[in-house]
Amino acid sequence: MQIDIRVQQAAFDAATMQQRLTAGRRDIGALVSFTGLVRDINERPDVEALTLEHFPGMTEPALETIARDAGARWPLTGVGVVHRVGRLTPGDPIVLVMVTSAHRRAAFEACDFIMDRLKTRAPFWKKEHTASGDYWVSERQSDHDDAGRWERA
Amino acid sequence: MTLTHLNARGEAHMVDVADKPESRREARARGRIRMQPATLALLAEGGLPKGDVLATARIAGIQAAKRTHELIPLCHALALSKVTLDFELDSTQNCVWVEAFCRLNGRTGVEMEALTAVSVACLTLYDMCKAVDKAMIIDGVQLEEKRGGRSGDFSRQATEVRHAAPADASPLMPGDGPAQDETPVVLVRDEAPLVSVRFLAELRERLGEEQTELDPAQLTAGNIAGVKRALMAADPRYALLAEGRVLAARNQVMATDDTPVAPGDEIAFFPPVTGG
Repeated sequence: MQIDIRVQQAAFDAATMQQRLTAGRRDIGALVSFTGLVRDINERPDVEALTLEHFPGMTEPALETIARDAGARWPLTGVGVVHRVGRLTPGDPIVLVMVTSAHRRAAFEACDFIMDRLKTRAPFWKKEHTASGDYWVSERQSDHDDAGRWERA
Repeated sequence: MTLTHLNARGEAHMVDVADKPESRREARARGRIRMQPATLALLAEGGLPKGDVLATARIAGIQAAKRTHELIPLCHALALSKVTLDFELDSTQNCVWVEAFCRLNGRTGVEMEALTAVSVACLTLYDMCKAVDKAMIIDGVQLEEKRGGRSGDFSRQATEVRHAAPADASPLMPGDGPAQDETPVVLVRDEAPLVSVRFLAELRERLGEEQTELDPAQLTAGNIAGVKRALMAADPRYALLAEGRVLAARNQVMATDDTPVAPGDEIAFFPPVTGG
């Protein structure tokens, strides 16, 4: 299984990742991709920007572990993850998860699984900047509930 | 006293030794590498991952003596007639003593060769053992004696008796071997590597601190929970570590309160993650 992990400040291009995961292959029947964007409404309205911090040295191995865990559960041919760090503004793409497989069900489920794990296990932290001040985003119970689905399954 | 490697204009040059008479030259140098008792025990029983440590260090020292002229700019290439390396495992001072002896019949002294042999043998010991102990210290590399040549014989033991001064009567590292073996030691540090502790994101901002260090001796338990307790005991600010959910990583891998912690580890504390 091909794994392509990137943590970067710069914007990303899903087509480029698609090219990397599919070039020269004829065994891929499905490609599922998720892109997360920065919203202007979160814990408070009027989010003007957010700053994403991560833990260099731990982030990439943590993402790779998540990708491998997905590969152990579904028959995948490739996993690509790009997560941006630094200052982002509403509308900016922040995360890309792309999964390829022979069949669509595995690709859909693995993509969902990887996002759930990423939100609860990868060392990223968001600080939001609003008109009424800055604050660190709290963890959400719904994210833990979502990630918990895969433990019961 | 003049420095023979500087010419009349003060420039570095190689001393012309063609007209010097040949004589028997000998030099003996010594140094040591200090390590954890456990590392020394592993070395003694041949349990280190890179294999026979002392045999490798001996060959390294001999090779280094032969190649001293390639390392030290103004040294002559010498045809050494004898190079020996001896190692002594010292469990009272937790170190390996390295002694090199060099001899030749020639026109220049061999003290640089003996000192280079000791230094490279110590570096090789470090390389062979660093997988289990990165805090090893190489020190005390010194010429013990030399014989032959115009500058005459030298013996550290004789010199130090002559130069014995009141300041030397109170060595900085007491109990560190016989007095004649000691030059004043200026570096005094705990040999146990520290546990380094990092704080990330909101935790870092609230503590106003990015990292700190912890002496493993302060740990009541050798795990993450023990690190938290030791920090909280040291400074009330760290009570934050017991507030709400605080996650931890040991050497960049997610950890729990029960994860073991060893000297030299990096422990990170951070709030629940919120990426994606």
